[in-house]
Amino acid sequence: MTMTESPPATEPQSVIPPSNPAMGLYDGLSTSDHKRIGRTWIRASLLMLLGTAVIGVLIGFEQVDASSVDIFGGDNGYFQMWGLYRFALVLMVAAPLMLGLAMVVVPMQVGASNIAFPRAALAAGWGYILGAGITVVSVLAGGGWGALDGVSRDEADAIALTLLGTGMIIVSLLLGAICVATTVISLRTSGMNLMRVPLFAWSMLVACTVWLLTLPVAVANLAIMYIDLRGGPLTFGNPEGSDAMYAQLAWVLDQPQVYAIAIPALGIIGSIVPVVAGIRQAAHWVMVTFIGVFGLLSVGGWSQPYFANTSDEILYIAFGIAVVLPVFAVIGGAAATLAAGDAPVGLPAAHLLGALGAGVVLLAAVVSGAIKVIEPFDLIGTSAHSGLMNLTALAAITAALAGIWFWAPKIDGDFLPSGHGRLVMLGFTAGALLVGAPQVVAGFFDAPDLMLFDTEDSVVNAMSLVSAVGAVLVALAAAGVISAIVSSKRSSGDAPGDNPWNGHTLEWATTSPPSVGNFAEPLAKVVSEVPLLDLADEEVDA
Amino acid sequence: MAATATSLPAAPARRPRTALVGAMLASGAAFMTYIGLLAVYLIERSNVSLAGADWFPEGVVELGPSGWIFWTMIMSIFTVQWAEWSIKTGDRTNGLWALGLTGLFAAAVFNQLWFIINDTGFTLAGSTPEFMFFILNGAFIVFLIGAAVFLALTMLRALFGQYGTRQADGVGAAAMFWNTVCTMYFITWYVVYVTK
Repeated sequence: MTMTESPPATEPQSVIPPSNPAMGLYDGLSTSDHKRIGRTWIRASLLMLLGTAVIGVLIGFEQVDASSVDIFGGDNGYFQMWGLYRFALVLMVAAPLMLGLAMVVVPMQVGASNIAFPRAALAAGWGYILGAGITVVSVLAGGGWGALDGVSRDEADAIALTLLGTGMIIVSLLLGAICVATTVISLRTSGMNLMRVPLFAWSMLVACTVWLLTLPVAVANLAIMYIDLRGGPLTFGNPEGSDAMYAQLAWVLDQPQVYAIAIPALGIIGSIVPVVAGIRQAAHWVMVTFIGVFGLLSVGGWSQPYFANTSDEILYIAFGIAVVLPVFAVIGGAAATLAAGDAPVGLPAAHLLGALGAGVVLLAAVVSGAIKVIEPFDLIGTSAHSGLMNLTALAAITAALAGIWFWAPKIDGDFLPSGHGRLVMLGFTAGALLVGAPQVVAGFFDAPDLMLFDTEDSVVNAMSLVSAVGAVLVALAAAGVISAIVSSKRSSGDAPGDNPWNGHTLEWATTSPPSVGNFAEPLAKVVSEVPLLDLADEEVDA
Repeated sequence: MAATATSLPAAPARRPRTALVGAMLASGAAFMTYIGLLAVYLIERSNVSLAGADWFPEGVVELGPSGWIFWTMIMSIFTVQWAEWSIKTGDRTNGLWALGLTGLFAAAVFNQLWFIINDTGFTLAGSTPEFMFFILNGAFIVFLIGAAVFLALTMLRALFGQYGTRQADGVGAAAMFWNTVCTMYFITWYVVYVTK
């Protein structure tokens, strides 16, 4: 079976310099190389991950004993940090981490020399960093997404700044999404139709499309609140005495919309597992289809409970239950490939552990979501919301970290330490399950989503304690990620080689680190989704 | 026959249409932002109607001037497509005229809308209907200015010869965004001015 017409070029010309992973501020502000731009996104979101994980630990401790522990200076402070943790986990960590990884990997996967609109991608990266900085500082200055009690003039200004910062983050994510989606649509190499696009690139196209169709609605919500707060009749932007401002944006953090953050997780799992197994992904088109279906079921702009109660609508319930199917199908397909392929010798690689862990956590998320929408369980408005959001976002982050370990030779030109990696992946998987699952269970005992007071229910208290332990594990794992990256910079281990994992897709046909322009020579026409595996088969046949 | 098909030189590689694809995605995102605003407008209006009150006081928001904007936008759709077609076919003179005319229509729409806003006497802090009137029309003005700037940049680039028969994607992209903004206005016109 001939799958390629001629071998893809793998040898770089000596005149093309490698993309230097080390860069100064000037390079960071002016580069148009997609690898450098992607690294900016990744590093910023990893720092945000560490900060968010620490906030998660503090919130966890406060929830264990809400009446006697007062870390944030009262209910309002707790509410602000609770909101910051949620928005940070989804919009400042999970989504930009995925985008950063995509900005490095996707152009190489589709055989392009660069990302589409590199300057826009760079501007989006700095816009995200600036927006995240504004949001965090404004929350610390007394802002946030509304307030539970009265606010001073300064606090109202800080709240306006929080809305502005959140808007900047979302607009930056949208701009980055346009760059990634345009790369997949219009910069694919010859012969690579959409069915032959690697699964990660495909999942990013689906995710970016869903983000572009839904997150602008959140921008609209933010614009209305901001303008109302600054000069309107305070119908939507009244910051005092309620959490209504948060409630207008809560749909971004709830099902079905929150699943949109995890769409690329399926692509990462589908990219890593066949390489570890050393075989082709069986029924590739089924994986492509179900990733698309997952994207379709993640569209959530229509489901805004603040404006209309959608939780008892048949469409909301159907979306919540149906979303289990594509996730089971994709993860099941990857598991079948792993079972059919070569058994890994020795300890499993960090990226495989991460991919499997992300799969398990994502399955837990969608099953929790399906249970949550079933009316007799009465979980709407309970802590099951937090559980679902934590499980989904942490599944996406675990998958992104698995991707970072997997594609490290292309991102930084070096391996990341595998021992660190295994601990990180296990820490994130266990931490995610310990944070999220108890919150879902506590929902059955009517634990509120925003827990401001102690409860007498011993099960809820026990679940809060387990959740806090999970948050500690996540924070330790996040510190482990930073530690692994720092230690990989200090070590002078063996060069990873161009294709250390025997990868199947075009990014592994570049050097490690890839040269500027990625490919030294024009690529041969691609005739399947795994061109390097085709090449290996041709060599065996010859 | 001296030459066979196989001895002919290879066709030039197909140019990626990044500008058009990017404009399509950006237009989609802009349109969804507008739809998000419109949804809030309709929900608030529905709430007021269910309470048995009027959304706008009788006779304040008139159909006449907004109808002129409607027809101006219709004409601008023709001129922007005229510009794209002219530049694609190498007729730069007609292309520049058409782009300039579209810019003039944009200025006219801005002027007409400014008149309508002043004519209503609404204030941003007045009431929820007045606030939402400003939100929807204000968002349209923001997108209109964005589209006009995009057209002006396209015109400059066409003037300096960057767009022609071999490369007119930028003009197509600007036209696509302009048409999206026109669609936004048609919806605004029907929702805000016709059905009130």
